[in-house]
Amino acid sequence: MADASGPKKLVLYIAGETPKSLAAIRNLEKICEVSLPGRYTVEVVDLKNNPQLAREHNIVAIPTLVRELPTPIRKIIGDLSDAEKVLVHLKVGDDQ
Amino acid sequence: MSTRQELSSEELHRRLEEAEDIIRAIRQGEIDALVIKSGAISGEEVFTLDGDTESYRSFMEAMDIGAAAFDDDGSLLYCNAALCDLVSVQPTQLSTNGFLAIFDETNRTVLRDALRHAKADKVSGELQFICNGKIRRLLFKASALKLGVNSAVAVTFTDITERILAEQDQEAERTALSILASAAEAVVVTDEVGIVSHANAAAVALTASDPVGMRFGEAFALDFKAATGLMQGDDFLALALAGQSIQGVEAEAPKGRTTQNVLVSAAPLRVAENQMKGAVVTLVDLSARKLAEKQQNLLMRELDHRVKNTLALVVSISNRTGASEDSIDGFRKAFTGRIHALAATHNVLADRSWSSIRLRELITTELSPFVQKYRKRFHIDGDDLEILPRAAVPLGLIIHELATNAAKYGALSVEEGSVTVTVDAEPEAGSRRITWRENGGPAVEEPSRRGFGRTVIERSLSYTAQGGAHLTFDRAGIQCEIRLPTEDISSTVG
Repeated sequence: MADASGPKKLVLYIAGETPKSLAAIRNLEKICEVSLPGRYTVEVVDLKNNPQLAREHNIVAIPTLVRELPTPIRKIIGDLSDAEKVLVHLKVGDDQ
Repeated sequence: MSTRQELSSEELHRRLEEAEDIIRAIRQGEIDALVIKSGAISGEEVFTLDGDTESYRSFMEAMDIGAAAFDDDGSLLYCNAALCDLVSVQPTQLSTNGFLAIFDETNRTVLRDALRHAKADKVSGELQFICNGKIRRLLFKASALKLGVNSAVAVTFTDITERILAEQDQEAERTALSILASAAEAVVVTDEVGIVSHANAAAVALTASDPVGMRFGEAFALDFKAATGLMQGDDFLALALAGQSIQGVEAEAPKGRTTQNVLVSAAPLRVAENQMKGAVVTLVDLSARKLAEKQQNLLMRELDHRVKNTLALVVSISNRTGASEDSIDGFRKAFTGRIHALAATHNVLADRSWSSIRLRELITTELSPFVQKYRKRFHIDGDDLEILPRAAVPLGLIIHELATNAAKYGALSVEEGSVTVTVDAEPEAGSRRITWRENGGPAVEEPSRRGFGRTVIERSLSYTAQGGAHLTFDRAGIQCEIRLPTEDISSTVG
């Protein structure tokens, strides 16, 4: 269900063009386009060039997707190839 | 960062869950990089788990042939500059649109299948795509590749368009040469200036020596008799070399073992649009056609001659039958009977292509209107003869007249009468005697009036001194001695 406050931000942390980073971008684009149109905007953060940006969300493994809102913050670790698992994580607490 | 004691149990639980999730993702190969805090000064650093990616990329860039790496899903991970050149696409476009989008559905399926199978074994195949309006062909080889924690497929691409085109050209030339060699008609190919470059066996037979390398006009020296001097020697070839087609001009080819009549056609040899490479000349042997034309003319003349003869005969029969019959009905019966007799002989001759007719067959045919009734009282003794058309037609008429007379007035007009036809065993003075003898009929008296039937009998075979017929009016029965010229008997059948 779309929130009246507009699309929420997702942050995807990657490391250059590693195969899993590329796969995560592709998989996330597909999930958002097919299952969640208009509900999220995605910011891709490349930690290869700016590793210190990992601090903000305490990122350890790459790729990692972070949903900041609604709280609590949620992290989905991996290349997002399991679309159902990603959707379950993104939707938890969404309807509250 | 907060100390562990300050954290709520909920936060601790969440962190534990995240730590477990990271370990699971590492174990399952879902991540390929880690952020390590190496110290207070240098801060965070990223370590990739995908092996030495940079060196494999450098290696791929150094290659001349197109190379790419695909992940497990068949998505492009990386492609080198040579491959971008090969498919004429910018690297950025490749990553945006996907490498597979270059190909149509069929070729996409080929590549997808290859990427799937390459995980187990090396795969190679061909792809084609349209580049700047032209079909380009790629040969690809795919094999599995391990990039650190990631499994991938490495594929190399080679452009084989030029090679295939060259092979097709060679194949086309081989086919053209074999067509040339297998053509039954003479075929000659010349270059742009009229020098013979190819000539098949039939063409070589029209010349004194191998014509390749000679001027066409010199090698074949065609003589265009029907062209009244307007076209000579190389003139028609010059027309073909100028781009015109010349169809079916008759000429004589005098350079072969014998002078041959040929039908010459010539056309420009176009290798591409607006590009001419010489001329193709075909020379069709007309000897067989000329012979057939001659035979046909002969047959036409023969037919004309026969039709005229037959019409003259019909007119004569009509006139003479009219003169000897007293009533219209009598005329109709006699005239129709004679025309039918003529037609019956014609039919048998026509069935045998006007070669010859057997005496027994001729007699049976002419007696067919009476044969049902008189078969038992009719005997033929002696050899059978093969009779040529010139004698067969008059003999048919004679038999018809004798049979008609016998049925009306003679031996076949009564129950006890009979007819015997005897063929003499040996010819005598250039003729073979056939005797028609009637027995057991009413007493015969020589008629006072000489009817047309008698004229037909006595004159029909008199076209030569060796032919003729003589009627004797014996009281016991009519007797007719027919002399058949031996020159009109092709053989005797014992």
